[in-house]
Amino acid sequence: MSDAGHKKAKPASKRGPTAAKQAASLLPGDYTSIRVPIPPSSAFDKNRPAGCLLQAQVRHFHHAESARLPKEKRDGRRPEDIHTEAEAATYIAKITKLLHPQGYKKSKRKPSS
Amino acid sequence: MPPGLDALKHIVVLMMENRSFDHMLGSLKAVNPLIDGVDGTQWNPDTQGNQVFVKPLAEFQGQLDPDPDHAFPAVDQQIFNGDQSNPRVASMKGFVQNYFQQQQDLAHSQKIMYYFTQEQLPVLTALATNFAVFNRWFASIPGPTLCNRAFAHYGTSFGQVGMSVFYPHGKSIYERLQDAGHTAKLYYFDQQSSSLEVVNLLQHQPQLFATYSQFIADCKSGILSDFSFIEPNYSDHDNDDGAQIASDQHPDHNVQAGELYIASVYNAIHSNPALWASTALLVVYDEHGGIFDHVPPPSCIKDGHSAGPADTGLNYTFEFDRLGVRVPAILISPWVPKGTVVGTDRVFEHASIPNTVTKHFIGPYPAANPREQAAQTFLDLLSLPAMRTDSVVFST
Repeated sequence: MSDAGHKKAKPASKRGPTAAKQAASLLPGDYTSIRVPIPPSSAFDKNRPAGCLLQAQVRHFHHAESARLPKEKRDGRRPEDIHTEAEAATYIAKITKLLHPQGYKKSKRKPSS
Repeated sequence: MPPGLDALKHIVVLMMENRSFDHMLGSLKAVNPLIDGVDGTQWNPDTQGNQVFVKPLAEFQGQLDPDPDHAFPAVDQQIFNGDQSNPRVASMKGFVQNYFQQQQDLAHSQKIMYYFTQEQLPVLTALATNFAVFNRWFASIPGPTLCNRAFAHYGTSFGQVGMSVFYPHGKSIYERLQDAGHTAKLYYFDQQSSSLEVVNLLQHQPQLFATYSQFIADCKSGILSDFSFIEPNYSDHDNDDGAQIASDQHPDHNVQAGELYIASVYNAIHSNPALWASTALLVVYDEHGGIFDHVPPPSCIKDGHSAGPADTGLNYTFEFDRLGVRVPAILISPWVPKGTVVGTDRVFEHASIPNTVTKHFIGPYPAANPREQAAQTFLDLLSLPAMRTDSVVFST
């Protein structure tokens, strides 16, 4: 088991990354800090073919779009027109914005290049 | 009332995707023999009759491609391996032969038996060994995602065994809570990933929803709802913050990304002392994704629905009287004794979620179907007389 060790809260000068710092500063008692690996950048592939779950989600959103919007306001794409995860995400975001507009909050951070 | 339940103000459920118990937590049997995992003796026959044993060779990504079939007929084969006797015996011997059908590749079909080591999954391992791990949490249906998730939201799938659009005709746990003057929220990752609860809840009750960034903010400010359900990111995509890697762990998405997401949910709760002391977090998976598990799903009380051959794809009607394959489930709270293993004598499924939440916040709810009312609840695991002072923290 990955385990950096059982330890008491350290002085601020010797604390690790942000999450561990917050825990040490806020919580009494002992805590074990565990490092979580980050996946390689190659793990990300927005052009991956959309799998069965995403395809089903797209169909459900298409159903909701048809139920809620007049024809002239609909996206126009059919579920079978959507092939990749990126395409699914774009379509789903468009309909979600209509169903849940309060869910969109523009990030203050610049997107990574 | 035990002090842990007295202190409990929030229940949070994070539901991940498509991984079996043995695949994710099976290696923990070597750490604690009470955990009903794998020991290398579990096997399935391949299409040439060879014994294919479980092996700790699971990879984070690229291995289970194509995505293992987890539709109702496929899961039926995985569980019963073609047994047509009456009554049938759930041998759990059909996984390799079923996976073979997708590519006709003998060597590849054997990978359905692979599992992760403890070192590969530091987050799940830490949570399972520091809090409560369930030996017997099963998917509610031997089938795919949407009908299984319906049990978590409604206590039933209203007769559905597939992924089709359907309109539930009963109250979700969220509506019940609201009707009783309580608060509930479904958090989806972002608008590009959105929610799987589209047809009924997002479309008709958008006020129930918020995004994951709001969950983080709500934890920081301590204004979490009584009940929160969190969905992971279902796709690799870009948003205003840049590239967002899928975190649901559905094959073939990267499993490490899901570990980071679980850690993030845990850290958000844990980093607010008042919230940590008053919250129970359940990390659970919706279904096994077609991946091997050795424990036969038990029978269960019917929920009053049935699915005929046109829906099951098989030559029989499913009476919703048998659970799906076992999935990882971990309950996290400082009131849970360290190293709790919930024994094999207690069977849980996704209907346990609405039953637990309803009983805690509302009390008896006669309108719930018999299956939900009979489902085991899990808050008795918050049994310590005093809150623990030890915990874990995850960092990258």
